[in-house]
Amino acid sequence: MPGECHDDHCITCGDVAEPMRVLRIDSERELALCADGVGSRHTVEIALVQPVAVDDELLVHAGTAIA
Amino acid sequence: MKYVDEFRDAELGRALAGEILASVDPDRHYKLMEVCGGHTHSIYKYGIDDLLPDNVELVHGPGCPVCVIPMGRVDDGIALAREPGVILTCFGDMMRVPGSDGTFLDAKASGCDIRMVYSPLDALRIAKENPDRTVVFFAIGFETTAPSTALTLKRAKAEGVPNFLCMCSHVTIVPPLRALLESPDLRLDGFIGPGHVSTIVGVRPFEFIPADYGRPLVTAGFEPLDILHSIRMILAQLGEGRCEVENQYTRVVPYEGNVAALRVMSEVFELRPHFEWRGLGFISQSALKLSPAYAELDAELRYEVPGVRVADPKACQCGEVLKGVIKPWECKVFGTACTPEHAIGTCMVSPEGACAAYYNYGRYARTRGEEATVA
Repeated sequence: MPGECHDDHCITCGDVAEPMRVLRIDSERELALCADGVGSRHTVEIALVQPVAVDDELLVHAGTAIA
Repeated sequence: MKYVDEFRDAELGRALAGEILASVDPDRHYKLMEVCGGHTHSIYKYGIDDLLPDNVELVHGPGCPVCVIPMGRVDDGIALAREPGVILTCFGDMMRVPGSDGTFLDAKASGCDIRMVYSPLDALRIAKENPDRTVVFFAIGFETTAPSTALTLKRAKAEGVPNFLCMCSHVTIVPPLRALLESPDLRLDGFIGPGHVSTIVGVRPFEFIPADYGRPLVTAGFEPLDILHSIRMILAQLGEGRCEVENQYTRVVPYEGNVAALRVMSEVFELRPHFEWRGLGFISQSALKLSPAYAELDAELRYEVPGVRVADPKACQCGEVLKGVIKPWECKVFGTACTPEHAIGTCMVSPEGACAAYYNYGRYARTRGEEATVA
């Protein structure tokens, strides 16, 4: 859910990144639908890690895949 | 989960702890700084310091994005939130950082429209859903987070979202490290380098540390085995008389960083001449503002913000904690007047802050041997 922090800390305020799996890709807008470790779905910017394929594991910080 | 579970293996952890014990000189004291608040959190969450010999001391650096935001900047954000028609958006922990007249949460309770977001993209979505309001994204964070803001600003400009603005408080990691190394009251033997900042900037920017200051740095991941392994690597360098930058977090950090991220950052941002850091004072060229090409999205140009410097509360010693000069429990208000529920200092606000990490994992007592969990 947007705005919700997981675990016991705010993963965005900390320099923490979360592994997520790619479910679907919108190539034109450079966005992907990704699932985190507990299955929650997030819209993720993928411009910095192209090319991306479905089932790839991404490291996501502040809604952006950084690796 | 892949890339996580295998880095929490207890057997390998015990083996690494044994290697560390075997590699230290018992007559020497080792003082290592973990730069990143995420490392501080992991160290206390997993009890890593309990696996280290007594003469290996970890001190905590300035790499917590929330902890370094000065009170005046919070006041500026609240002033923006009080402007008619403004929705202020920010990340979760930022809501609880105290300014001189309360936090964003207090301002929200008094009627300001301040909303927590998970990403800058969420703030842009709120702007699109509220075309009659002005949405300001209060951007904080190091180089890990700045590319995300930059991409969203680029998207807002390309899509023509006129009611989306940014108040930029992004900071960079190298200037405060240089300031710490110049500080006469801190003697360090080596650094555990920031993992996710390095994902963006690479390891090259840290080469000045061994070259100019003769201290090794090992970029590390955030799982317990990552941190133990990086400590083992630093101690190996010290034992062998080597001094260089090494990369433990090779599964994520490329030597040159993320070129696409660096490119978008240089397009959207430029360096501020000076920026005030909580407890560290003004540091030259240590923060980012929007470049002239993105001036129309700069909230500080659209609105008049007070920009007043507010001194930290006298009782608060966040500055000394951020520089690693004192341990959190040495602060006079730690765990008494200053707690995560009612934080006076920023280091108690974010769980990545050293004070909150000590408090949340029960490190109240004075020395490691005497530490006890207080129920």
